[in-house]
Amino acid sequence: MAAETTADRDESIAAGGSAEVRGEPARTGSGPGRALVAVYGLFALAASARAGVQISRNFQEAPVAYALSAFSAVVYLVATVALARGRGLARAVAWVTISTELLGVLAVGTFSILRPEDFPRATVWSGYGQGYGYVPLVLPILGLIWLWRTRRAG
Amino acid sequence: MVVIVAILAGILAAWAGYRSARGYPVLSDDLLAAGVVELVVLVQVVVVIVLVARHGAADPGLLWGYLGAGLVLLPFAGLWAFAERTRWSSVILMMAALSLVVVEWRLTQIWGG
Repeated sequence: MAAETTADRDESIAAGGSAEVRGEPARTGSGPGRALVAVYGLFALAASARAGVQISRNFQEAPVAYALSAFSAVVYLVATVALARGRGLARAVAWVTISTELLGVLAVGTFSILRPEDFPRATVWSGYGQGYGYVPLVLPILGLIWLWRTRRAG
Repeated sequence: MVVIVAILAGILAAWAGYRSARGYPVLSDDLLAAGVVELVVLVQVVVVIVLVARHGAADPGLLWGYLGAGLVLLPFAGLWAFAERTRWSSVILMMAALSLVVVEWRLTQIWGG
């Protein structure tokens, strides 16, 4: 029974019901957004770990790819925190970082296919996130949709 | 060992997926199940420590990185999911369990060199 009521409440949050009353943007860190934050956290961890290993071992081997790895790690970290907070400035930061992420994955994905010689080592965004089940490509799109849907719930 | 953890994590993922499809939040029995899987992961870490002490590892840095990541996955997901108990908390648990399967799969690759 308790499960039913929390599920109902969840539906109303997803529909922007609770925020509608206050006329503020819905919270990005709850409901489906909470799951989104979890995936972002996971990618922040994965990208940071990857960048850490690549850079500490042999940065000169592929400086461009490794610098991009580090950059994507920072983007994921900031996006995770911004999405979890999801109000005021954090919301703007989320828009910027997630857009950057989408542009990044599209640009790096395209370049890594057109000019593979510039990317001797893979980044999270190579081949549109191929090595990560294309999640890096889908994630920013979901993130932007989510930000748009929660922008003003009134 | 890796296979056992992967299978358990797979079962946990499937269960959490079913629960989220039915619209249930994460409840204490889900956390209990996750706790059991986490215990097995702990045992695995101990086993790997012993094995590495005896035989050494092909790539210790990567190995410890992935083991550590696998170790913290479920506790973090559990905390994040339990703080807001909606159907999405089950989704979070499912994704964490799936990630654990991936981590275990990578572990076998790293172990093999």
